[in-house]
Amino acid sequence: MHKIESKNINFYYGETQALHDVSLSMKENTVTALIGPSGCGKSTYLRLLNRMNDLIDNTNLTGSILIDGQDIYAKNTNVDDLRKNVGMVFQKPNPFPKSIFENVAYGLKVNGITDKKIIEERVITSIEQVALWGEVKDKLKKSAFELSGGQQQRLCIARALAIQPSILLMDEPTSALDPISTSKIEELIYELKNKYTIVIVTHNMQQAGRVSDTTAFFYMGELIEYDKTKTIFTKPSQKQTEDYITGRFG
Amino acid sequence: MGSHIETELEKLKGIIIKIGNLAESQVTEAVKALLSEPVTEGKEVKKTENKIDRLDVKIDEVCQSIFALHQPVASDLRFIMSAMQISNEIERIGDLAISIIKKSKNIKDKHDLIVKFSIVDIARQVETITIKTNECFLTRNESTIGEIFILNNTIKNESDEAIHNIINEMKINSKTVVSGTNLVIVLKHLERISEHCTNIAEYVYFMINAKIIKHEKFDDKKFDSDNLD
Repeated sequence: MHKIESKNINFYYGETQALHDVSLSMKENTVTALIGPSGCGKSTYLRLLNRMNDLIDNTNLTGSILIDGQDIYAKNTNVDDLRKNVGMVFQKPNPFPKSIFENVAYGLKVNGITDKKIIEERVITSIEQVALWGEVKDKLKKSAFELSGGQQQRLCIARALAIQPSILLMDEPTSALDPISTSKIEELIYELKNKYTIVIVTHNMQQAGRVSDTTAFFYMGELIEYDKTKTIFTKPSQKQTEDYITGRFG
Repeated sequence: MGSHIETELEKLKGIIIKIGNLAESQVTEAVKALLSEPVTEGKEVKKTENKIDRLDVKIDEVCQSIFALHQPVASDLRFIMSAMQISNEIERIGDLAISIIKKSKNIKDKHDLIVKFSIVDIARQVETITIKTNECFLTRNESTIGEIFILNNTIKNESDEAIHNIINEMKINSKTVVSGTNLVIVLKHLERISEHCTNIAEYVYFMINAKIIKHEKFDDKKFDSDNLD
């Protein structure tokens, strides 16, 4: 069984159809890269996986998305539980105006965990998971804004991991970072896939090649090609994919 | 206007065509030398050899620059990988041609021997395979690749037979040992040129189809070339 299984997805912003009959399945503990030019629907697809598009008015979805075999758009789905299971990291690091510790503990507290020992354990584990512990262990009470951009992004990933999701969505997580911070996040993605299923939107072809197991190429709302990353970057089957990854698009 | 990488790839293609043509002319000179036809002056041949060496280095530099600056993928990546290998093969073809020219000077009664052991055919076929190799890179015509594989096999078989006959002749007539040995070396060089051409055809096949066929047996390659359409 696939971890994520989307079937015949059509998605509309008002009258505008953003996704056309997209069917895409992802295995557990893999990294899937979503690539394609701006406006191709890759971020829209990503946001469907934790129902972030529900927050936008006048949208409509047909088709189904199953996570662990459960339809996440079924009427009885608890969206809060879904978002606990499907964490998300955004393009720009967005720490809260709180201490480093509180940033990671926040999600736990919101989810009703009050035991200080459990919170502390989870915070430490999460910060360790993102390889940030050595850099922040002596300044946990300091503002998260004092961290560098790369550290802030890793902190945001730690925040997402603290509530123990099984899926992590990343929307261009390194586009605002320098090469060293980017490299750290990429190493982190590689480590995290042992425990999580990761879906990453990226405009960086080399990054897709470096971090992902499978790659999906979207164009004008359609899924043009989905295959092993190695195949996509060495021998894509579709001319549109070849043109895009070799920079000859349009 | 093409993108920056396209300009670089076109430049690379141009250099390979140039170095390929130079190697082809060296092979022509080598065959002429072997068949006792008038040969271009040694100076010219040496000049061409130097040009080939310089272009070989140039190709490495251009490929390195494309890798570093453009991170090529898919067909671009295959083209650059192939270009580096092809350049290496061509450079060695040039060296072998020079060696044939040098060795040919030391074969006494050359004309009689090359007629006796049917070496004219082999030499002409090596010229042909060199021309076809340049053609297959330029046109990416898959049927030409198949022809190259077949021709290489023919050259190999005919050369083996000629070498066998020359060795037998040397056993009978010891006066032919020096010329015979040089002739065997020349035949081996011709065979190697044909092999390098075949290697180039394999890289062109890889460029087109993303399938590595080097080290495959001749019959398997033939099977592939039969199904190219």
